[in-house]
Amino acid sequence: MSTDGGPGPVTGAHVLAATVAALAARAPAIVAAAAAELGEVVLGLHFGDGTSSQLTAARGHLVVAEGAPRSPDVEAWFDARAMNLVFDLANRPVDEVMPHSLDVRGGREQVLAVWRTLRLLGQRASGLRAVQEVWRGYREAHPGLWGSVAAQAPEPPSPDGLRPPRGTSWTALDYLDARRPHLLPGGITDGTVADHPRVLWDGRTSRGWWEEGRVWDADLLTVMLRCRDRVAEEMDRLIPDRSPKTSLYDLMRAYPARQGKGLRPTLTVAACAAFGGRPEDAVRVAAALELFHNGFLVHDDVADESTHRRGRPTLHERHGVGLAVNAGDGLNLLAIDGVLSNLETLGLARTLGLIHEVLHMCRETVEGQAIELEWIRRGFIPRPDAAYYRMSTKKTGWYTCISPCRLGAVAAGECAPARLDALNEAFRWIGIAFQIQDDALNLLGEEELYGKEPLGDLLEGKRTVMLIHLMREAAPADRAWLEPLLGLTRAERTQEAAERILDAMHRYGSIEYALDVADRLAHRGIRRFETDLAFLPENEGKGVLRQIAHYVTTREL
Amino acid sequence: MTTRGGAAEVRLGPSGPYPSAPLTHPLDRRWLHYAFRSPDGALSVIANLSVLGASPGSGSRPQEMSILLVHDEAGWASSQFNAAVTGVPWSAFRLPDPGPRLRVGTPRGAPSVDLDLTRTGRACTSQCAPFAVDEHLRWQSEPGVRARGTLTGAGGRHAGSSLVGYHERVRGHWAWPHLGGWVFGFVNATGADAGSPAAPPPFAVVFTLIQPPHPADAPTGSVMVWRHGRLLRHFPRRTLHVGVSGRLPRDLVDTAPPLAATLGTAPTAHVPGRLRITAASGDDDLTIDVTSVTACRIVNPNELGMHGFSVHEVLGPGRVVGRVGGEDVEVEAPAVVEFAGGADVD
Repeated sequence: MSTDGGPGPVTGAHVLAATVAALAARAPAIVAAAAAELGEVVLGLHFGDGTSSQLTAARGHLVVAEGAPRSPDVEAWFDARAMNLVFDLANRPVDEVMPHSLDVRGGREQVLAVWRTLRLLGQRASGLRAVQEVWRGYREAHPGLWGSVAAQAPEPPSPDGLRPPRGTSWTALDYLDARRPHLLPGGITDGTVADHPRVLWDGRTSRGWWEEGRVWDADLLTVMLRCRDRVAEEMDRLIPDRSPKTSLYDLMRAYPARQGKGLRPTLTVAACAAFGGRPEDAVRVAAALELFHNGFLVHDDVADESTHRRGRPTLHERHGVGLAVNAGDGLNLLAIDGVLSNLETLGLARTLGLIHEVLHMCRETVEGQAIELEWIRRGFIPRPDAAYYRMSTKKTGWYTCISPCRLGAVAAGECAPARLDALNEAFRWIGIAFQIQDDALNLLGEEELYGKEPLGDLLEGKRTVMLIHLMREAAPADRAWLEPLLGLTRAERTQEAAERILDAMHRYGSIEYALDVADRLAHRGIRRFETDLAFLPENEGKGVLRQIAHYVTTREL
Repeated sequence: MTTRGGAAEVRLGPSGPYPSAPLTHPLDRRWLHYAFRSPDGALSVIANLSVLGASPGSGSRPQEMSILLVHDEAGWASSQFNAAVTGVPWSAFRLPDPGPRLRVGTPRGAPSVDLDLTRTGRACTSQCAPFAVDEHLRWQSEPGVRARGTLTGAGGRHAGSSLVGYHERVRGHWAWPHLGGWVFGFVNATGADAGSPAAPPPFAVVFTLIQPPHPADAPTGSVMVWRHGRLLRHFPRRTLHVGVSGRLPRDLVDTAPPLAATLGTAPTAHVPGRLRITAASGDDDLTIDVTSVTACRIVNPNELGMHGFSVHEVLGPGRVVGRVGGEDVEVEAPAVVEFAGGADVD
């Protein structure tokens, strides 16, 4: 049995690797927090089953290398019993390390850093169902480890736990503990976070039901898939089933069918929940936003002369510019219809608020597009990164990050400008960081991750942080051949020319520089998220927004 | 002797409770509460007819606020706080008997109810929850009330409906943040053993836990069991354990009155997904288990702050098992639970 469902034994090293991998995909905030605690420390881990791992932190990631650690600052030996500390979720928390079951050696400060890291991982990761499944695999493979603890727990009075507690001294909490995870009728889970049952009254001490624990983390992967699929359903509903099909409505379905990660829908739905609204209330405007986005993409691809989008030929490549532009216009029209259809569900005030937000988003986007197209037309490349930040915020920042959040908040009924504006700075920096990473992905040649043709941005002459850095740092001799190349139109620019520019970027460290900038901006955004949005109560919606903020630092590059 | 609202009165403990004493302070409150569910759980009615005291010296009359919720296959339908009450509504606590009808509705027709109510048992003795300084809530409960008639909800008109439920009267003087919150609910046995439609349910259970914010040991609570309409057992607060787990997804929580949704109402905590109560005293014990399926959040204005007092009317299947007075109790029936709280002092 293995943690990833494949063959092979479940070992301590495998569980650690699977846990970190699951967290990087599902709860980046936990990984980022743990990486911050670990800092520069190299941790060697030796498990009771004879396996070993090395754990280090790099640029917000946790890196697990299976096998004997090399020159660790701190080494920790767990015997089988001490694994209870990390992997025990079925039973009551074990508060103390059993004698002689755990040995940690290293410098005082480093050991404390390791302790904080493992404690954070153990506590925050344990709330996620996906991680619980990984750990359950380990428990089931090594049932003997849990024997001594399990024996202390009373057996449920009956399989369904409803018989009276006669003779068992079971209280309400014991029943609820035995029934986790909580399932609603029909098998619907109540979220991606498995919180512990709470006692409201034990005959002596009271705690209000409304005093719920802080929800710091959420399972981002599952939430993004759910939001993406739900919003896709709504988009499908908004595109009418009528003629002409082959020349219009089928084309309008083409880009939405090429599903992305679901970032924007998740931001909109999560922001709605974070501001106290019902997530379902944000679905329609999220679908409208996706239609706007797809309309922009169609037109953008025509303007940029792109050949591929999300791994497949662009609409104008396949159907010609005329039909593509018309389909893009149609998508924008349906998007307006989608926003207006909120009148039935959200009422006039919130719908007017949504229209105001959408208009602002569209204005920022076309202004940003105009700035970049003008730069390309004039062969202009700005020197300071700040010029790129401004253009990027306008061109993509508003509609990928800032507006989705604001629209979600408005759908929840938030109308105070100051509270809506509190979203701007955090998600502005996160949006720019995300865009820089996307641009880097295009240059790293991972078509599957990016979806456009390799080096497509260089062929288009797109102004990126990498290009700005290159032109700022390049020696005069290199600038002499770069400038004429960048002045060419897309049709004149060849693949060889693009590869030559890429080679220069590698030589001048432009890609590494851009990734560092993205990391720095992402952390700036995360800081603003925590300070500017402190007024929002901790709930799962805010937990999802936080995970997205950290997603930028841990996404696969 | 103390003075409240300019009127001198002799104080012998908490004032009230139910005589027709005037409401002379904005924090003086009184209400009649009605909650019914059909035996199959498809239809539910919740109505609250409340009166708030007038401001002292203002010369104004006490403020009447009534709200009606109807839940059917199309979901929740809610009135504003101005649901129209026609005639004198039935109450087991009103003399002379005003007649059986409860007619509450909105001008647009939905939600509305026109029900004939019949009591099948007797109310519990009055209970009182004191808290803060000189504030209290006093209530009297009666489960097993049968309702028959027409109700109109989001799914249309349901004529000839039969429901069984709960009635209470409340009187007191409090500010919402000082009260804290409560967990309240009831289950009436409605299965095959429920007897004739006019008979009392074989078993009915009412539970209450009122939780002032401090001190931590101040809650007032009870679990009460009725057998064939008579109060059989009262488990006092020290014998209870109350726990919750999970969360009801926010999509399953409506907001009422409808106006609250347009006023930027602040979010509240998640409604728990499951409630479990155990009570044990001597040879008697009881376990109550209710799963939340849907909820309507009634946002009540808070006199001391911007965060309203939210009463979540939660519907779901209820199960009760135990042994009381030497007899086994086993009930499986639609339940109503209220998770109330969330008001703050600004």
